[in-house]
Amino acid sequence: MTAVVQVLDVVQEYPGVRALKGVSLDLAPGQVLGLVGENGAGKSTLIRILGGIEQPVSGRLVVRGEDRTFRGSAESQAAGISVVSQEFRLVPQLSVADNVFLGHESTRAGVVDAAGTRARTAELLDQLGLDLDPDRPVSSLTVGDRQMVEIARALSREFDVLIMDEPTAALNGAEILRLHAIVRRIAEQGKAVVYVSHHLDEIFEICHDVAVLRDGSLVAHAPTADLDEARLVEHMLGRAPQTYERGAVTEHAGEERLTVRGLRVPGVAEPFDLSVRAGEIVGLAGLVGSGRAELTRALFGDLPATSGEVRVDGRAVRLRSSREAVRHGIFMLSEDRKGEGILPHLDVTENAMVSRDRSGLGLLRRLLPVPADESAQFERLRTDMRIRVPHGRQLIGNLSGGNQQKVLLGRALLSGCAVLLLNEPTRGVDVGAKVDIYQLVKQLAEAGVAVVVSSSDAPELAAITDRCAVYFAGRQVAELHGRDVTEDNIVSASVGQTVQEGSDV
Amino acid sequence: MSDTTATRLVADERARSAERARQADSRRRVLQNAGVLIPFLLVLVAGLAFVPHFASGSNVTNVLVNAAILAIVGYGMTLVIAVRGIDLSVGSSQALAACVAAAAVNAAGPLVGAVVGVAVGAALGLVNGVLVTRLRVPGFVATLSTMSVFRGLVLLFTGGAPIMIASTSFKSAATTSVLGVPVPFLVALVLGAVAWFVLDRMRFGKHVVAVGGAPEAAVDTGISVDRVLLLAYLVAGAAAGVGGVLLASQLGVVNGSVASGLELQAIAIVVLGGTSMAGGRPRIIGTFIAALLLSMINSGLNLLNVPSFYQYVALGGLLVFALSIDGAQRAAVRRMLEGRHS
Repeated sequence: MTAVVQVLDVVQEYPGVRALKGVSLDLAPGQVLGLVGENGAGKSTLIRILGGIEQPVSGRLVVRGEDRTFRGSAESQAAGISVVSQEFRLVPQLSVADNVFLGHESTRAGVVDAAGTRARTAELLDQLGLDLDPDRPVSSLTVGDRQMVEIARALSREFDVLIMDEPTAALNGAEILRLHAIVRRIAEQGKAVVYVSHHLDEIFEICHDVAVLRDGSLVAHAPTADLDEARLVEHMLGRAPQTYERGAVTEHAGEERLTVRGLRVPGVAEPFDLSVRAGEIVGLAGLVGSGRAELTRALFGDLPATSGEVRVDGRAVRLRSSREAVRHGIFMLSEDRKGEGILPHLDVTENAMVSRDRSGLGLLRRLLPVPADESAQFERLRTDMRIRVPHGRQLIGNLSGGNQQKVLLGRALLSGCAVLLLNEPTRGVDVGAKVDIYQLVKQLAEAGVAVVVSSSDAPELAAITDRCAVYFAGRQVAELHGRDVTEDNIVSASVGQTVQEGSDV
Repeated sequence: MSDTTATRLVADERARSAERARQADSRRRVLQNAGVLIPFLLVLVAGLAFVPHFASGSNVTNVLVNAAILAIVGYGMTLVIAVRGIDLSVGSSQALAACVAAAAVNAAGPLVGAVVGVAVGAALGLVNGVLVTRLRVPGFVATLSTMSVFRGLVLLFTGGAPIMIASTSFKSAATTSVLGVPVPFLVALVLGAVAWFVLDRMRFGKHVVAVGGAPEAAVDTGISVDRVLLLAYLVAGAAAGVGGVLLASQLGVVNGSVASGLELQAIAIVVLGGTSMAGGRPRIIGTFIAALLLSMINSGLNLLNVPSFYQYVALGGLLVFALSIDGAQRAAVRRMLEGRHS
């Protein structure tokens, strides 16, 4: 079979980084190629080159036997390459229909054919099994729906190659199954699909072949049938993976550090009760929109609660702003690491020190941080937390997601908080770093911090939490303890089934 | 069986979120309209009740002509603000267009003069557009600089002296009425309708919203962002040119210092009209109504013999009010989507 698209010896460099070190790849019609690798391995760079958004330093792109240079996404699209990007690239102010056909509107003399656009969008959404009004502005959609609109947009173009960059990151179980069916159908129509995912089970589920990138090089390219999950992870890491072993579930007899009674949060149907002891890790599970995001934000003072009581170490606290929350010893790491976590133009040391508890320091050191002292602190963090950076003056924006998250955990540690709220702590973090982060969270808990983990990743909650509350549509539908905190129980409870019925999912 | 319950619950939640979205949208629309309509009605009623001669024929004509010139410049500004830009040079562009047009009218007749005036405005807009898209100067700085450059050029052009327009037919254009409506106002209505149609129904309008609302998305979908930006600044300049021609016709005598401070008025009406400074939401109709509002305020204060010093204060206050409405809108929509019913 001849390749639709060939990537030949493509090299891409950014200032100080060689992102792709000569990658060659063939895409055949009807093939679903899984593209995997740790964050920072070069997947996104390769996709951006194929999508015409970046131009490689050297190397060739051959489309249907012809050498091509894309000077922009329009040219790549014209050549039949359609990309579903990982970040949402939708215009919130425009309607669903306008977004789907943005850039290739059907027009007569420049006037948009609104009725036709609407009808074709409805058709596409129907194919995707999505019940959505094409006239709704995208700003009002949930994250999952936005992802589906993004996919509808890619499908609305004429294409031979469809590139999907982590399309399921924001989707729930049913939506993922539907998407898999669509990917298979597209491949059956003789189109090539490049499928990027961190969820390896997906790769084995739908991909015929898998290509593994590591540090900008293609380290493996084989039919999925020849691989198993362990081998694949080994290729990605370049070493055998460590696994995270949960210690025996111990009864936590520590002091109650966080107590929440009858906290009413707008958008959540029921008042919220929670108590977390020192050393305990409590999980909050539920689908996107189930209310758990609101709860953590309310606990961090980001969303005002209408009534109820929050106590930290027995003291009642009022949480009207994040600043107050931090002052009372509550610290949160947002799920939006790029937007609300890192300070991209500062180096890792400054990022780690920014929330540091300075009450123990002298006045002068509070006002004028001593560089030597800060670097020493950071050195300690770096070795303790296995942060992979060459030196403390590295800009945080250039690190991989996992390393950024470790720096942020370091920030939480130095803030001397009593309660740590983690939202999606390993979103966009690769397998290797995940285990490190779990261990760090465990260490923080053992040091006496009360940890609350809100996550949509059920295996993650099953792996690290001692106790897990499951939310559905603003209600707590289950609380799982110790041995019952399993992936199956969490998943079945999150879609509104009771734990007993969980086995038939 | 539990599977169907889950499906039903999910469907319920979806319906609720759709309902919330609809409410947020209508709420935003109400706020947007109220932000300009309530002050408009208040000023109208207050003017009719307390200001002598407010409803007199000459004052109404005066208000409508001033509003028309302001609105036309405002349409251009609406476009530029919708793509997250700003054009501070509209006042200077208008002055230069007005003076060149006046000279051209004297030299070659009214029609040529009008065309030359608009062309001068468009050319100045093109300069701004090139600075922003080619030299990558931020719109604020680029147009702040050209505001000074263009003002200097118009003073050089006139040599500091006023230009009297000889052509009576040119001068009468601004004061002639068709069915009781002054010609400039009709021009503003027609141009407003065209601008609305282009922004709401045409491909270019969708691209404007995309570039202003989500620039990265616009790049990824293959829209030429630079072309949209360039056109936006070009149109803003041309609009200032049209305004300049009408102003020359209205005044009959122009000098190098006309239309100073126009940029602030234009920004005020655009924002008051509901166009968001954050980009992506052009509102031509709002700009039009806000232009009428500002024109009424100015004429009311004039008729009450309020010193012009206070008019500056009023304009600044209005701009702050408009910007606070802009912020309140965004907060209201966010609250609504987060499900806070208040």
